[in-house]
Amino acid sequence: MSAIVEERRETIKEIVTDILEIDPDEVTEASLFKEEHDADSLRAIEILAALEKNFNVVINQSELSRMVNLRGVYEVVSDAAGW
Amino acid sequence: MRGEPGRRVVVTGLGAVSGIGIGAAEFLAGLRAGKSAAKPITAFDTEGFEHAVACEVTDFDPEQWIRNVRPRTLGRASQFAVSAARMAVADAGLPEDELRDRPCLISVGTTDGESRDLDHLVEVEVDLGPEQMDPVIARRVPAGRLSATVAHEFGLTRAEAVTLPTACAAGNYAIGYGFDAIRGGDVDIALCGGADALCRKTFTGFYRLGTIAPERCQPFDKDRKGILTGEGAGILVLESLESALARGARIYAEVLGYGLNCDADHPVAPNQDSVARCMQLALDNAQVKPDEVDFISAHGTGTRANDITEARAIHQVFGERTAPRTVSVKSMIGHSMGAAGALASIACALAITEGFIPPTINHVETDPECALDCVPNQAVEADLRVVQNNGLAFGGNNAVVIFGKHGSVGS
Repeated sequence: MSAIVEERRETIKEIVTDILEIDPDEVTEASLFKEEHDADSLRAIEILAALEKNFNVVINQSELSRMVNLRGVYEVVSDAAGW
Repeated sequence: MRGEPGRRVVVTGLGAVSGIGIGAAEFLAGLRAGKSAAKPITAFDTEGFEHAVACEVTDFDPEQWIRNVRPRTLGRASQFAVSAARMAVADAGLPEDELRDRPCLISVGTTDGESRDLDHLVEVEVDLGPEQMDPVIARRVPAGRLSATVAHEFGLTRAEAVTLPTACAAGNYAIGYGFDAIRGGDVDIALCGGADALCRKTFTGFYRLGTIAPERCQPFDKDRKGILTGEGAGILVLESLESALARGARIYAEVLGYGLNCDADHPVAPNQDSVARCMQLALDNAQVKPDEVDFISAHGTGTRANDITEARAIHQVFGERTAPRTVSVKSMIGHSMGAAGALASIACALAITEGFIPPTINHVETDPECALDCVPNQAVEADLRVVQNNGLAFGGNNAVVIFGKHGSVGS
């Protein structure tokens, strides 16, 4: 993995764990925000808003259905940013 | 109170500040015509939003209504509340000295209080520093002033003044509180309602949740796209029947009862069973059977979540095939937050007096999942005896008020 990709993944992880108020060690690429980390729809929107601000992208709310774990979030941000 | 005889409570005065008209007569004309208040927002800078339409009150001059308190010392929501109270007291034909001599209740519901001023103060703080904040504006902020200022304006030293912050159902809470105070014999007269001013904070919050419609509010429509934020105030003069009869007052309607509950189930999503329970509480309190309700003024925000949940709760209480006609005045005046329940209550009182059901405008095709007759686009004439007004708020705060034609129910 290139350094820039690694850095982006780290930033996304920081944003998500900060909003979900969980320890970064608790979350994996595949662990589910709602089922395993107690997230709800408002937290999901908070994550979406923070990603938009941080990466200067626009993410359609319909993408929330893909943003169920870190892997999904990375894909959605990649698509929106054209990485 | 259920089962106790209690004193009867009637509506004798109406004051409305809304995007479709100021004063009961203009508001009535707007409701009958199915007028829309939707316009591009002027209250704040909307740069960065893809769409920014709301139902603002654009032709409001506080000097025209407020006589004793200096308008500059009031935030916009308080200006609306005091003006609507002035209109309501005049409409009720209540002499001011008589109002001053009697114990009275003032209850005003709100969602945002003077958040419009907070928006401004924060902007100044960020741009210029806290020392540049205007102390006159800072003093306008406490939400208690929405009701206290009504007492100041009329010099009501014997009044209890309360501001109820139960968000989008607060107008109905305020009416319920007035109903109890009169029914229980604490006061003969209550000035009750709600007020809110359009503010950037609330628009942005709803926008971020994806619940702001781009152009128009279409409650119960299959293509509805959300709410339009609105503003205004509604104040009703509630009075004991004895007092109203003694002074020969015009009676718009009787408040038959109300119900409220808080389920605290979810921060923003309404809970169907809880909404149904609240409607049943109101019907029981009013001693009215579901089949006696002639129409429901719905909370009807125009969001996917509200309209489906509210429609299902109505079906639950009233039956799927036997639900009464259910309309949303928010299609015309937007979601005026704390004023919503009060303005819709005024619409109910006017509907009973004038014999019509206000329409749900912007309606193209009813969502089969809602399956209600929402009186699309055109008001209809109707002889009304019992009308129900729903108010549902975030946090699961629900309040439902039942109005009846005076002299036709339980007398």
